[in-house]
Amino acid sequence: MSNEPKPEENQSEEAMKARLAALTAALEKQKDPKPDQEALEATQRTGRAMSLGFRVLSEFVAGIIVGAVMGWQFDEWLGTKPVLLIVMTAFGTIAGFWNVYRIAAAPTGPQARDDKRSGS
Amino acid sequence: MATGNAIDPIHQFIVAPLAQIRIGGIDASFTNASLFMVIVLLAATFLMIIGTAQKSIVPGRLQSAAEMAYEFVASTVRGTTGTEGMKFFPLVFSLFMFVLLSNLIGLIPYTFTVTSQIVVTFALAALVILTVIIYGVINHGTHFLHLFVPSGVAPALLPFIVLIEVISFVSRPISLSVRLFANMLAGHITLKVFGAFVALLLSAGGWAAISPLPLVGIVALTAFELLVAFLQAYVFAILTCVYLNDALHPGH
Repeated sequence: MSNEPKPEENQSEEAMKARLAALTAALEKQKDPKPDQEALEATQRTGRAMSLGFRVLSEFVAGIIVGAVMGWQFDEWLGTKPVLLIVMTAFGTIAGFWNVYRIAAAPTGPQARDDKRSGS
Repeated sequence: MATGNAIDPIHQFIVAPLAQIRIGGIDASFTNASLFMVIVLLAATFLMIIGTAQKSIVPGRLQSAAEMAYEFVASTVRGTTGTEGMKFFPLVFSLFMFVLLSNLIGLIPYTFTVTSQIVVTFALAALVILTVIIYGVINHGTHFLHLFVPSGVAPALLPFIVLIEVISFVSRPISLSVRLFANMLAGHITLKVFGAFVALLLSAGGWAAISPLPLVGIVALTAFELLVAFLQAYVFAILTCVYLNDALHPGH
């Protein structure tokens, strides 16, 4: 190889370098859809958080209501007003807390199955 | 919608008979609620049947939508109940599509939201819980009652724990129905109230300058209601799967 590259080789090398730079820039731009991906994941997280919130609220309130209604009905049957209403409402409140505990403490279906599959 | 100066958000929930039908002594009229249930059914049928008619390897828009709906519900069912739970897939898919399409169609102006009636949501929730109980009792007999007895509980505490578990189980259909009903009811009432604000502001002379504010509020709220529509359908479907999992594998 001569020390001085010929002018034609010089030009083609520069052309190649220019094409390489353009290609790298295009690849960098392709990797950029990250902001969209992050926005999508943020919406999904909000959605999951909201659905969890609705579930917790409705399960808690439903526990209390069911306890109160059951207590009231048993009172009508057995004529023990208002003892059973009070007692069953208290139990209903405990059941409401129990529902919320089950939602918070136990992992939901897919994770639990993954744990089982990985043999934990 | 606004009668005089009153805001009337409840008018949209009135069930009015379109065709009077009496069978025996029972009023079985075809109401606007029935009409919209039929519309939801037709929409779901149209989506699935015509969506999968093409059977092309690279799906078009409708086929892609049908496939996404199937994949979504199938992965949810398989994830919560395992492969043997797939026998419940038709039920869960029907529930999901019915609730989702009722919620979405209800967002169109001048329509009736089927799932904003407690009677409809309670019927769906009762269907789910009865399926759970009947299937559990048929398949596992009295072992199904082990659902109410968590393992490793001191015998002295057992009566209380069982009572609490029973209350917790009975609260499931209540929470399932009330959650969907309350979300739809609240969303639609809020939309109507904001709409009334726009009308009232416009008719109040100088205040008309700030009437675009409730309008922007309605636009944002409709976007929020779209999210809530999807979310509530998803939560209904996934809780159905969780309860069916209890019927398939009772006892924690």
